[in-house]
Formats: sequence, structure tokens, C-alpha cells
Amino acid sequence: MTVGVVEAFERDRRRLLMRQRAEAAIGLAIFSILLAVSFQRSQFFGSDLGGDPLGRIGDFLDRMIPDLRAEALFEGRRTQGSLASWFYALPLWLRAAWQTVEMAILATGFGAVLALFASFLAAQNLMPFAPVRFIVRRALEAIRTLPDLIMALILVAAFGVGPLAGVLTLTISTLGGLGKLFAEINEEIDPRQLEALTASGAGPVKKIRYGVLPQVLPNYASYALIRLEGNLAGAAALGIVGAGGIGLELQRAITYTEFDTYLAILMIIIGMIFVIDLVSEAVRHRLIGLEKA
Amino acid sequence: MAGATVEQARAIAPEVLRPAWRRRARGLVFTVAALAAFLAMAIDLQLAPGAFMSGFGKLGRFLGEMVPPSSGGQFVRILKALAETFAMAFAGTAIAALIAMPLGVLGAKTVVSHGVLHFLFRRFLDVFRGVPALVWALILVSAFGLGPFAGVVALALADIPNLAKLFSEALENTDGRPLEGVRSAGASPLNVMRYGLAPQFAPVATSQTLFFLEGNFRNAGVLGIVGAGGVGFELEERIRIFVFDQAAFIILLYMVAVAALDSLSRWLRNRLA
Repeated sequence: MTVGVVEAFERDRRRLLMRQRAEAAIGLAIFSILLAVSFQRSQFFGSDLGGDPLGRIGDFLDRMIPDLRAEALFEGRRTQGSLASWFYALPLWLRAAWQTVEMAILATGFGAVLALFASFLAAQNLMPFAPVRFIVRRALEAIRTLPDLIMALILVAAFGVGPLAGVLTLTISTLGGLGKLFAEINEEIDPRQLEALTASGAGPVKKIRYGVLPQVLPNYASYALIRLEGNLAGAAALGIVGAGGIGLELQRAITYTEFDTYLAILMIIIGMIFVIDLVSEAVRHRLIGLEKA
Repeated sequence: MAGATVEQARAIAPEVLRPAWRRRARGLVFTVAALAAFLAMAIDLQLAPGAFMSGFGKLGRFLGEMVPPSSGGQFVRILKALAETFAMAFAGTAIAALIAMPLGVLGAKTVVSHGVLHFLFRRFLDVFRGVPALVWALILVSAFGLGPFAGVVALALADIPNLAKLFSEALENTDGRPLEGVRSAGASPLNVMRYGLAPQFAPVATSQTLFFLEGNFRNAGVLGIVGAGGVGFELEERIRIFVFDQAAFIILLYMVAVAALDSLSRWLRNRLA
């Protein structure tokens, strides 16, 4: 009797192990095939590009790093090997970087205001009419699935090269992202405050102003600030397809194959994102603090 | 006594006892300042209402031309481009995961416990975390020529710092007790890793990598815009020559593919969890 139990256990265990191993083997096989096909299709080891990929990456890094000379580091712009000759158009780049920051701030602001309206139409507890909710939610979803850059390509074709297309693209994508988040915040509010307002005879606008906004604004602001950080990186990238700002300068550096200039502008972008992240984090922590108080 | 209570109330909630007009004035000043700042930025960027209006006219025409979407007899070519986009995403994610793994180990506080080193390493990763793949792709295409190779490297470069950070966090979050248990049973260091650490770490890392694969498929689609091959390249070409019915076809097909990969990856991730 006990022998039978042990045997059955051993059999089951062996079967389980076999199944796990078979699953792992199949998974590994699929993974390997996908990997091989991917490397083949993406021409990673393609010889037509000049042989070994690692050598090419090394060569590229070498071209990207500027020829700085220690003794001439703080000389003027005309001296080869000085920092000033590396960052030769610094005022122009800083101006373009500021434009990118402006694009991100404007788009986040406009997008957040539009998202505010959309979120009231999409929230279950504030919009009693289901078809409106459904349409607004699907529209927001459609915006979120469309990649920003594809939207930017079309908008640049329509509105011309410049910051306008970039601001519009980021506004629309911010509306899609924040609209959903705001609607979720709206649905989690305390219903008692709304009931009190309804009982005292307030209309829908007053209910939103006094019953909803005081509860949700700190959360809204926090999400909008996170979105601002993302929009800044987005705005820098959108410039590449012609939507203005620092990305345009990146594109220009590439057109003239100035790889070291590219690195200089890239460093400005990284610095810009870093500063905005710090500011936004500080403001967000203050907001969260206020919310708790 | 009553004075003391008011003092206490003021200490607890100063906002409530402040005169209403002061609160309102503050709100008003803030709103006006914000609006003025917005207006100044819009003027600085030269966002003219005229350009806005005429642009909308054009946009309407483009959208009209998008219906009905058409493959233009190039369905096979578009499918090939889609496969190339997936290949870029897959290869890029695989390379990123491979390189991020040792970096993640170095970034884990439990491995490199020296505070300053840990801080410097994390900051170093942070610096590169913000650079979008497209920015890498632009320069890589210029360095390596048109084609998907640049896209693969761009995706990998953009992912490595992010994945490394997530990997080191996953390592830091592992429970030390299973390791101790395996070690106390007399296992070799390798077996401690295999039976104590891997069962905790591998599912988390795999699921994060899958998550990045989804993201990379989205990113890979647009990398083609700067010449890194795949579906973005085809799309850019068609938008440039204003063939919007084919552009719409590519966008729709690509979005379907993204949704399909997302649900496949979600299914896999749910199985892992």
C-alpha cells in the first residue's frame, strides 16, 4: 500500500519534471530561432556594412569623442582642442533647448486642460450617459496606441516644419495619456461630498468645482508633472522629424556629420532632462506633502 | 480659553482661518501668472493662429485621403518591413538584456554595498536613461549607414540603462533566506545562485525584458523615420510624397501587430507570475 503511494508520487514527479523540461526546451528552441532570424533579418552581422559590428561601434565612439587638448582646454573658440571650440554654438543650442522646454510645458499644460474635460466625460460617477463615456474612452485609447512620432510626421506635413507641429503632437498624446489617468482619479473620489452638494441643490458645474476638483487637483498635478518629464524627452526627439527645438539642431549636426557636435548637443539634452526631473520631483514631493496635511 | 482654542485651530489648519479674499487673491494671482507665462511661451515659439487654422484645413484633407486605406499592391513588401521591425526590436532587446545583466548586478546595493560607488554607478545609469532611442538612431544611422543595424544598436543603447536599473532593483528585492537555506544544505556558490537566487530573480527579469520587447516594438516602428529600416522607413517615404491611403494602411497594420505582440507578451508574463 505505502509502496504504491511512493511509486505513484515518483511517477507523478517524473512526469511533472519531464513536462517542465519539455516546456523549457520548446521555449528555448523558439527563442533561439527567433533570435537567429532576428539577427539575420536585422543584418546585425551583415558583411555588406563592413564586417564586425563591435569594431564599427568602437570606430563610431572614437569619432564621437572630441579631440580635446589638455593645454588648450580653456582657450577661445578658434583654438583647436578647447572646450569652447567643441561647444562652438552654445548660445544657439541653449536657446533651442529652452524652446524644447517651452514646447514641453505648453503641450503638458494644454493637454492637461483638455484631459481635465475629457476625464469628466469618461468617469463613470460623473457622466451618467454611457455612450458618451464609451466614445471618449475609445478616442483616448486610439490616441495612446498611435506612436507620437507617426502623429508628428503627419502634423509636420500639415502644419509645416516648426514648434507648432511639435506642440500639437505632444498636446494630443498628453490628452490621451492624462485623460485616462484623470478619469481613474475621478472615479476614486469620496462620493459623500458630491452627495452633500447634490442635496444642497448644486448644478453639475458647481458639483465639479466644489465636490470634485478640491479632491483631485493635487493628484492631477502630480501626474501632469510626471508627464512633463516624459514630454521633454519626447519634444527633444520630435525635433528630429522637423517639429522644432533642440532636436532640429541634432538633425543639423548629423547632416554635417559633426559627430562630436552631436555629442555636445546630446549632453545639453541630458542636462536639460536632468534639471527638469529634479525640479519636477521637488514640486511633486511638495504637492504630496500638501495633500497629506 | 477660547483664544487658546482658536490658536490651536490656527496651528492645525492655517488655511481655514485665513480670510477668504486672501485665498482667492492668491489663486487669482497664480492663475494670471500661469496664463501670462503660457502666452509668453506661445509667442516665443511663434505659434500663430493663422498657421494653426490653415494647418487644420490641410490636416482635414490628409485625413480624407486616408479613407479607404490601401496597400497600393505592395502588401508583401510592407509585411517584410514589419518583420524587419520586429527583428530589430527582438535583437535589440536581447542584446540590451545581455549587457544589462552584469550592469544590474554591479548596480545592486546588496552586491556593491559601498555607498559612494553605488551612488555614482546609479547616477551614471540615470544620465543615460533619458536619451530616447530615436536620438541614438539618428547618429547611428549616420555612422553605420541606412538599415536596421543602426536601429538594433539604438534600441539596445536606450534600454541598457533602464533594464540595468530594473535588474538591480529586482536583485535587491530578492529574499536572502532561500539563499541561506540552500547554502546551509552545503551547496556550492553556483548551486546557491541556481537554486536560491535564480527562481526568485529569473521570472521578474524575464517579465521586465518582455515588457521592454513590447516597448521596443513600438519604438522600432518609428526608428525607420530616421533611416533605420523597417516599417517606419516605408511610412516616412509615403507621408513625404503625400500618399496617405498607403500611409494609413501601414499605420493600421502596424497598430494591429503592436496589439498582437502586447497580448502575446501579456499572456507570457501572466504565466511567469
